[in-house]
Amino acid sequence: MSDLQLEIKNLIIEALGLEDIGPDDIDADMALFGEGLGLDSVDALELGLAIQKRFGFKIDADAKDTRKHFANVASLAVFVSAQQAA
Amino acid sequence: MSKWIDLQHLLSPALERPVTLEPALSHADLCVQALSLAAGLHARGVRNLAVHLEDSAELAIALLGAWRAGVRVLLPADLQAQSRERLAPHVDLWISEHAGDTTLAELYAEPLPAAALDLDFVGLTLCTSGSSGEPKLIDKTLRQMHAEVLGLQALWGEALGDAVIVGSVAAQHIYGLLFRVLWPLCAGRVFVRRAQPFPEDLQRWSLAQANFAWIASPALLKRMGDNLDWQALARVRRVFSSGGPLPSDTGAQLAELLGQVPTEIFGSSETGGIAWRQGGSLWQPFADVQVGLNDDGALYIRSPYLAPGHTEQTADGASLHADGRFELLGRQDRIVKLEEKRISLPMLEQALADHPWVADARFGVVQDKRAYLGALVALNDAGLHALRNQGRRAVTDSLRQHLSPHCIALALPRRWRLVRHLPLNAQGKLPQAVLEQALYAARTLLPEVVSQREENGEWHLEVDVPLDLAHFSGHFPKTPILPGVVQVDWAQTLARGLMHLPPRFCGMEVLKFQQLARPGDRLQLHLRFDAERGKLYFSYRNGEAACSSGRILLEAARVSA
Repeated sequence: MSDLQLEIKNLIIEALGLEDIGPDDIDADMALFGEGLGLDSVDALELGLAIQKRFGFKIDADAKDTRKHFANVASLAVFVSAQQAA
Repeated sequence: MSKWIDLQHLLSPALERPVTLEPALSHADLCVQALSLAAGLHARGVRNLAVHLEDSAELAIALLGAWRAGVRVLLPADLQAQSRERLAPHVDLWISEHAGDTTLAELYAEPLPAAALDLDFVGLTLCTSGSSGEPKLIDKTLRQMHAEVLGLQALWGEALGDAVIVGSVAAQHIYGLLFRVLWPLCAGRVFVRRAQPFPEDLQRWSLAQANFAWIASPALLKRMGDNLDWQALARVRRVFSSGGPLPSDTGAQLAELLGQVPTEIFGSSETGGIAWRQGGSLWQPFADVQVGLNDDGALYIRSPYLAPGHTEQTADGASLHADGRFELLGRQDRIVKLEEKRISLPMLEQALADHPWVADARFGVVQDKRAYLGALVALNDAGLHALRNQGRRAVTDSLRQHLSPHCIALALPRRWRLVRHLPLNAQGKLPQAVLEQALYAARTLLPEVVSQREENGEWHLEVDVPLDLAHFSGHFPKTPILPGVVQVDWAQTLARGLMHLPPRFCGMEVLKFQQLARPGDRLQLHLRFDAERGKLYFSYRNGEAACSSGRILLEAARVSA
């Protein structure tokens, strides 16, 4: 598990106030929404804000389908790295 | 600006004006499809049609087609298994994007001729949460809906002009249905097919239009983010918000960014629109709506949006002001709203009580970073057995899974407090304050003392090991046992409450741990202090079996020289 993935897992737990869940309970390829971790639509909005704040970039509002990067921790880590490199 | 078409005359295949985008659909094409659907429904003998469509143009086709064929449309709020099961007796056919349901296109047949719709037809049934726990079905005539859109057009038609309607909320509810579909259809405003729940998508759709207006909710407006092009978005003709109150700081922030305070709509599935406001705390009733208070201070409504002659009593506490406006003071029943989603606590409690591990359960709202539900759950013997042998996570996971077909993900409790018995009062009720205290409290660190008595300077206590003890999560999470260090700590802490003891802890002697203590055990704790030697003797028993014992060495505080 990369450090970035761990950081994202901790961010999810912290920003969304998840109780009884530790980073080890979230697999990198586990779906965050719906089945899997079971996050809801409001978590999706909150997580979008938290990711931008923590990693200091702005999600490009003109790009389509940015939300696809929020599917799981692994895809989020790839997205965050790419945004930071950009 | 387009010509207004009354609801009953919407089936006008000669009307050439655009309805929606991507793909584009003209009003004429919409009518042909609706009339084709009407023919198909008629041929199949369908009388009651459940519709759940995320594409609101398809929803419009379904509504107009069904009404032309004299078919009642039920709009379920979601497609959860339990919702479907409950509605099944009322439904002949389901139309949705869900696998196994019928699509519109499968039903199309040689179109029926266009005709005016009957305004007195009970064409719509909304499905929402009732306070008893049973789902509530709310019937509406076309006349009621028509009165609503006429009222909206009179208030804001001119201001909206030719704005394209972009929504963030579903059209399965009365607000989305009226604002995103029926009002634009009558007014000839183009609307975007799908709800855009994310700020970036809302922006992209909006900025692609010459003019636009938003049909939104606090859930989105509170979380817009600073990655948006606010200068461009300030073209928005009007921002509507409904489903729950918009925090005043959000309103003020948006006013700064967009140059307007969002227009909030207050209403419900039962009543339709009641009132509106643009900032401030007071609500202005719609022109034809009369409001009053019953003896309990709860709002009642008379309006053309209700069945003729009907007075709808709400459970919304309110105070009326001399100028006709009113202030809302909170609900008086056990319906709560989380992010504008209406949730019946009794329904969830009944559902959870059906779980084989649960004796009883109560739910409440916990206001943390965001508001969510907490559950106080009394486990039965099987539940205790599961907790002892599989651990807390296995239990809470199982409870979550059991609830998930009964409710949307947002309503699943995020905080679980497990107990053997609900802390009911003498009347057999669980007072709200007690429930909230249990839900807000951190997981406990101490045992529950059931009894205590002194005999010759020695203390005999009975203590229950809490099911929810915080220490269980770290220690063997799948087989929770009471750690020895916690037993020593409890002995010392409880003894200090009962006896005068020297303050300094200096160590321990002859510690023995003979049998595991587990959640739900009732232990007998014996405490004796030998003042001469400065030793606190403790022993825990579980009935006949000795669990642990030892001595804690205590000394007087050192006096510094």
